[in-house]
Amino acid sequence: MGKFRFTALLVLAWLAIGQPARALPANQDKSGALTKQQSLSTRVVAYKLEAKLDVAKKTITASEILTYHNLTGQPQQTFPFHLYLNAFQPHSTFAEEAEREDSSFEWTPEKHGSITVERIVVAGMGDLTGRMQFVQPDDDNAADHTVMQVTLPEPVPPGADVQFTVTFVDKLPQVVARTGYLRDFFMVGQWFPKVGVWWKGAWNCHQFHFNTEFFADFGTFDAKLTVPKNEIVGAVGDVVSTVGNTDGTKTVEFRAEDVHDFAWTASPSFQVVEDSWTGGAGPVKIRMLISPGSVSSSARYLTALKGSLRHFDAWIGPYPYNQITLVDPPHGGLMAGGMEYPTLFTADTFWYMPKGVLLPEIVVAHEFGHEYFYGMVATNEFEEAWLDEGITSYMEAKVMDALYGKEQSILNFRFATLGELEDHRVGLLSSGYLHSTDTDPLSRPGWRFFDDTAYGSVNYGKPVLMLATLEKIIGEETMRRALHTYFLRYRFTHPTREDFLKTVEEVSGHDLRWYFSQAVYGTNILDYRILDARSDPLSSSDGGKKDSTGGRQLFRTFVAVQRKGDFVFPVDLKVTFSDGSIAMEHWDGQDRWIRYQYDRPAELVSAEIDPEHKVLLDVNLYNNSYMVPEDRQAIQKISNIWTFVTEWLGQLLAWLT
Amino acid sequence: MAELKPKTFLAGARLVWRQQRALWLIYAANLVLASVATRDPLARTAAILNHSLAGWRLVHGFDLGAYVELQLHPSMPFNGGRPVMVYSAMLFAIFLLFVTGGLLTAYYQDRRLSPGPFFAACGEYFWRLLRLMIYFTVALVPIGILAAVAGALFKKIDRESISPFPSWYFLALAAAIIAALLLSARLWFDLAELLAVADGEDSMRRTLGRAAKLLRGNFLALFWLYLRISLIGWIGFWLGLYVWMEHLRPEATTQAVLMSQALIVFWLATRLWQRASGALWLRQFEPQLNSQAPGVPAQPPAPPSTSLEPAPN
Repeated sequence: MGKFRFTALLVLAWLAIGQPARALPANQDKSGALTKQQSLSTRVVAYKLEAKLDVAKKTITASEILTYHNLTGQPQQTFPFHLYLNAFQPHSTFAEEAEREDSSFEWTPEKHGSITVERIVVAGMGDLTGRMQFVQPDDDNAADHTVMQVTLPEPVPPGADVQFTVTFVDKLPQVVARTGYLRDFFMVGQWFPKVGVWWKGAWNCHQFHFNTEFFADFGTFDAKLTVPKNEIVGAVGDVVSTVGNTDGTKTVEFRAEDVHDFAWTASPSFQVVEDSWTGGAGPVKIRMLISPGSVSSSARYLTALKGSLRHFDAWIGPYPYNQITLVDPPHGGLMAGGMEYPTLFTADTFWYMPKGVLLPEIVVAHEFGHEYFYGMVATNEFEEAWLDEGITSYMEAKVMDALYGKEQSILNFRFATLGELEDHRVGLLSSGYLHSTDTDPLSRPGWRFFDDTAYGSVNYGKPVLMLATLEKIIGEETMRRALHTYFLRYRFTHPTREDFLKTVEEVSGHDLRWYFSQAVYGTNILDYRILDARSDPLSSSDGGKKDSTGGRQLFRTFVAVQRKGDFVFPVDLKVTFSDGSIAMEHWDGQDRWIRYQYDRPAELVSAEIDPEHKVLLDVNLYNNSYMVPEDRQAIQKISNIWTFVTEWLGQLLAWLT
Repeated sequence: MAELKPKTFLAGARLVWRQQRALWLIYAANLVLASVATRDPLARTAAILNHSLAGWRLVHGFDLGAYVELQLHPSMPFNGGRPVMVYSAMLFAIFLLFVTGGLLTAYYQDRRLSPGPFFAACGEYFWRLLRLMIYFTVALVPIGILAAVAGALFKKIDRESISPFPSWYFLALAAAIIAALLLSARLWFDLAELLAVADGEDSMRRTLGRAAKLLRGNFLALFWLYLRISLIGWIGFWLGLYVWMEHLRPEATTQAVLMSQALIVFWLATRLWQRASGALWLRQFEPQLNSQAPGVPAQPPAPPSTSLEPAPN
């Protein structure tokens, strides 16, 4: 009894004190939101940058102290660096590929840009400037200087740090491919020597190609930017201090943590618009730098940005940084627009942008989406561009549809509308899937696509439709959970496409290899069509088949469905009859065609493949259905428009007479 | 300087109404040529659309993506059909050039011409009008050069200006000047065409010279006449387009057809209004014209009519 009483007392004491909570990861709270007590990422790099902008000469004189933590598990003696600005030279790989795309393209002098490394010193190993050499890991173009490697006299042991001090000078081009100057505006991206990524057991440091973007390790950036006093500066990260200098300049210091790039912008003509938003991880300061003429788009930008923050926070995961900067390039600066950097992105608009053209909103939704898929889930943009562009484009479509309506999320006029999914098919404002359906698979490295059109079509348009079709297969909620899981699992790392695909399979509980092997790894065309659809009256010579209930005429209806393309996909078929009855079929699509036969006292009215419009990868939606009585409304509408246009054209020409 | 009688502006409209057979003839040709040009592409488009449920995306509203997808369809001939529509437009321009002789004769004499005399006048003046048309295209060259210079200046201002607006203000001003020059050139050649018909003069260069002299002495009045009618044409046309696009139901095909054809007729009518007003204005000069033109018997002018009824033959 005494023993029992003692045990009971212990239990009561335990209950009174309370059970300890189940331990969470040190930097994560119950919602999955990240706390700031520890770093969010494995910080491989720490950059200290000091840069001075010469507005007149369009140059930047800079120094960089890079502390590289050797977490490769191997001794490292050779370190490759990206020197992206050297792409803007006449015979670089980038230039040659640009000319291949457009033979009329001219590398005029103002488009030239460069980065010249003047000195590189490694702590404890001395001046290694003489050991720098340009390499071309992707082609044999010796004139391409976008990758430099330096070999140290002795290796850096695994787990140790190595510190590089680099002095360099940038010559900025007039805005081309996201970077450069235009009048008093500077967009400074990919401007410092950036060490490559040790990935899959080797250095991954590709040359800068016309069709590729970037890949880098996570870390910290401390940057001191010296600019003329009247410049308004925006950059990745937080402002630490602003100090006036005696020579008419000021030095603005920024710090960014757990990011993999540092870009900045400056212009005395920006109008600053500030706001804030609070999400799962806390308040986010919004800073918009608006160029002259675009003020009327500020409200549109802000609405789209807050909507994107809200939906990404709810659907994918919390936005962990405490600020986001939107940069609106000036008129004529289209080449600087529509680009993403961690916690900063560039938008795009015109001063006369009609309300019914949702271009500013689309760019915001897309570029903000990259804060998640590129900024935090930092996939290799050279080798697997669709993992950030395609998934971001898919999320852009989801956000735009939620904010502005599915049918009019791109164009919203009474006389014409266009939705996101449809635009990703046809490519009116984006890169459309239908422009290049079978030249290249999603799995191809970015610089090996057939051309720029194929790159855009396959990395933007096709993944949207591939994921939208996948969403129909596994369900919207499951798709959302899959993306949420993928994000939480792989943020601040460098996942591969298999990581993504396996996550989807794991969350959905389905084996989706049959789909991925065709949609991701293949170039199979998906096209189903109604091959035959008709009703023949059954006469007494057919065995006297008449309806036993009152002698109604019987019809034998045939509906044949053909798989025209080589993509095998199960499809539904809906057959509607004149008495209102419906027959639903499901075909696995394995064979080349299938025929259904119905004997009914009703004729065929219509046969429709995929009546719920799930199979968005189908290249031809017009042959998916057949109506027996023809409907001429559409052709009459088009006839009216074409006739009108031709008549008016005639009268315009007749003005010459 | 001849006085531009206050009612020339309205009298011109009434003249077009009285001579509306010409308007309907030209409109019919426009419609027939356009219909013939679009027949084949429409037939092939109909083969895709008529039995497809996907066509509803073009009927209920207008899904631009569905339309572009139609253009991308492998069997879609639109890219191949486009030149045919341009040829049709060119044919119409030639037809209008042909009937201009008869049209101007009817306007100048303000009498209804039966088909025989109408087409006889068409044939009689066709080569002269053709020559004038060639001279007109030459006259457009300096305006074209000016437009190219304005375009280059626009780009330069746009490149150098921090604000986007100065270049667009410049463009608006340049466009207005170029439009005024084009209108003036058209006015000059319209006068020349009228003189060719009124005088029976064979030398078009001389006719152009006399038209220039007439225009120089009466520029403001004539320019204002033409400008008003052009403005009515452009504003009315765009208003009509607005009503069509914004206020007609997307499924209302019949209403859309009526509206679109009404716009075509309206556009054509305003152009004929300019021709008719010019003819009425020129008739004031008939004694001087007849005294200047060698060997041309004087035609007694028909009394100016303010009614809708045709003048007696």
